[in-house]
Amino acid sequence: MLARVANNLFWMGRYIERSEHIARYLRVNYFSSLDAPHELSQSRQFVLKSLMFMVGAPNTSNKDLDEADVLYNIGLNPDKEYSIINCIKMARENANSARDIISTELYEAINKFYHFVLNYSPDFLVKKGLYEFTSNVMEFAAITKAKIRTTLLFDEVFSVIKLGVNMERATQVIGIIHSKYIDIQAIELKRSEGFMVSPALEWSTLLRCVESYDMMKRYERGVANSYNTLEFLILNPKCPRSVVNSLSEISRHIDALSHEKKPSKHSTAFLVNKLYAEYQYKYTEEIEVDFRTFIETILESLFMISKKMEKEFFYID
Amino acid sequence: MHKNQTIFSSYTFDENTLDEVFNDDKSVKEIYKKLFALYSSHSIMDFEALNEYAKTSFFNQGITFQVYGNNETKEKIFPFDLFPRIIDHEEWEHIEKGVLQRSKALNLFLHDLYHEQNIIKDGIVPKTLIESSENYLKQMQGFTPPGGIYNHISGTDLIKHSDGNYYVLEDNIRCPSGVSYVICNRTTLKRALFGVFDKYKIHTVTDYSENLLEILESVKPKGVDKPTCVVLTPGVFNSAYYEHSYLAKGMGIELVEGRDLFVENHFVYMRTINGPERVDVIYRRIDDGFIDPDVFNPESMLGVKGLFAAYKKGNVCLVNAPGTGVADDKAIYTYMPKIIKYYLNETPILKNVHTYHCSDAKDLEFVLNNIKDLVIKPVDEAGGYGISIGNKLSPQEIEEVKQTILKHPRKYIAQPIMSLSVHATYIESEKSFEPRHVDLRTFTLLGKDKSYVLKSGLTRVALRRGNLIVNSSQGGGSKDTWVLKK
Repeated sequence: MLARVANNLFWMGRYIERSEHIARYLRVNYFSSLDAPHELSQSRQFVLKSLMFMVGAPNTSNKDLDEADVLYNIGLNPDKEYSIINCIKMARENANSARDIISTELYEAINKFYHFVLNYSPDFLVKKGLYEFTSNVMEFAAITKAKIRTTLLFDEVFSVIKLGVNMERATQVIGIIHSKYIDIQAIELKRSEGFMVSPALEWSTLLRCVESYDMMKRYERGVANSYNTLEFLILNPKCPRSVVNSLSEISRHIDALSHEKKPSKHSTAFLVNKLYAEYQYKYTEEIEVDFRTFIETILESLFMISKKMEKEFFYID
Repeated sequence: MHKNQTIFSSYTFDENTLDEVFNDDKSVKEIYKKLFALYSSHSIMDFEALNEYAKTSFFNQGITFQVYGNNETKEKIFPFDLFPRIIDHEEWEHIEKGVLQRSKALNLFLHDLYHEQNIIKDGIVPKTLIESSENYLKQMQGFTPPGGIYNHISGTDLIKHSDGNYYVLEDNIRCPSGVSYVICNRTTLKRALFGVFDKYKIHTVTDYSENLLEILESVKPKGVDKPTCVVLTPGVFNSAYYEHSYLAKGMGIELVEGRDLFVENHFVYMRTINGPERVDVIYRRIDDGFIDPDVFNPESMLGVKGLFAAYKKGNVCLVNAPGTGVADDKAIYTYMPKIIKYYLNETPILKNVHTYHCSDAKDLEFVLNNIKDLVIKPVDEAGGYGISIGNKLSPQEIEEVKQTILKHPRKYIAQPIMSLSVHATYIESEKSFEPRHVDLRTFTLLGKDKSYVLKSGLTRVALRRGNLIVNSSQGGGSKDTWVLKK
């Protein structure tokens, strides 16, 4: 496979995955806040700020955010790098450069996805269509990933796309945890000031943002809290979207691309497997004790892996 | 609109043009009867819905091209007509033999032009015509491409005249495009109107890619057992990018850009995730001038430095060969009957349209005095650009054309205005079928000891009433083209 095309496929996978996480975060947070148990969680500004933080554009001013602006910017504003429409455009552009080697079924799925988003009315989105739009984005992303899984050869093309998907999934899950953690900290602060607020809903919301709420209930059979939620979403190999599972997938697919039996210490495979090994033996208390450092460290590690991949496989300096 | 109106109600007839669907007495031709009955059974609303469905199908398949505006880029589809064109078996056999004959003759002609030039020495083709051609590449002199093939892929444009005969309008042997639309038109028609396929036994079009791959592999460089073939594209922003990716996918080979390739020690390599991999055959979809900045256009960002030298060393095969443009020059076209006779000792199977050379003093005089009855064409333009149709010009425009010709007589040829046949075509704005002019592009492949003609073609249709220019760049659409089995 051409190095340039591999890079395109890697990013195609990342953008498809990213669009799904943004849409889900948008839907879950917005709709769960509508009947949230206390004023802070119900506050529209609280939710809008959380949304902007998650997409990487935190509100740093003292001004209130405008709801219609936020929904439009995140959903359909082509001028915002983080918007869902841009994710889909980029996914399709990357697929275009590789359409000769992906299946017709996969390409058509991406194309339908693109035309759905492109033709969605911004006015309808901000007034009535938020649930429909975000649900459809999630459906289209799921269909596209099903096409990846069921219509491609399990060869290097598949592995490169899966690397993109899983790198992005790990990054997004950590980003979502980070974002909700900040919301929870704000609630904890209020509680410490004597307000009758509890962050319990936000832990459930966090699980829903990663589509893991039902399975967490089934696994844990208890109320979601800091400990069990972080354990489930980061370290539990039974949770399909856990960070450790993404690392496991990254490790599997990087090994499929690498031709070294024993990866040299400067290779991507070495870096990936080292990180994966570390997370297999990590425990929740380590994370909880200094959450900020944990977030920074894992994001930095994923960034380094991405850079290493670009150099080793895509010839990008 | 009257409730009993059908999609054929407002169909108009012109006794001066050949209608491929209807007889002179307005009855439906035998070959179209089943199809016509089926289409007539659709209400206008049904047909509009089908037409929309077909358009969506093109969008979903990503068969689009970009239109660049001031602030935004729009994606458009090439208009597709749901009423297929049918060519019966005997008529097709004649076409197939004719286009193959032309391709073989052109290949021998090219070899001669770049070697002994016997055809010039024997006074068949004037030397000045070759010497003055911008597309004659001195760099190709004395060189024989792997397998001895120059025009591996030929696109021959034909029209059906009011006398019922097919005439060749031009040969395209540089980078002829459009074959992917033949296949996509079939796919789309199958999706939208699958029922119509029960009524006729037609040849498939899906075997083109495998035949193309066999042709590419047949011209592998010496010493190569299993060649690595690639398609070279200018990139995603090229209007034919869809076709490039379609063909690469159909053949199961890599679609590369110039930046993916490099030359080392006169061998060509592509950059893969596993390191450099040697490339043996390049089906290049970029023009001669851009393939190698070291030899041709030094500004080219699309080509590969050192590629031409590797080619001349015989280490890689370029398809089509550089320099084929000299033979599909419209000024050469007029010599095709003589070229066929000279190399193959055969009578041309397909007719040529009589052509006047403005470089010839006698012809020039005739052209200048009869512009209103002629089509004036630049010899080296494609896509229908630069064409003037005499009977559509005002007296002032005729004067302007005269001046343009006089500035560069070698650049222009003239032909009588041919009456392209018409075919029933759905016109969206009218919500009904109307006759529109059509032509046909066929696709012929030549390899080492192998040849193939796609049993179909791209029927291009001029969507504006009375318009004779069918090129997509000039607002033309296309139709699925059925060749009936014996």
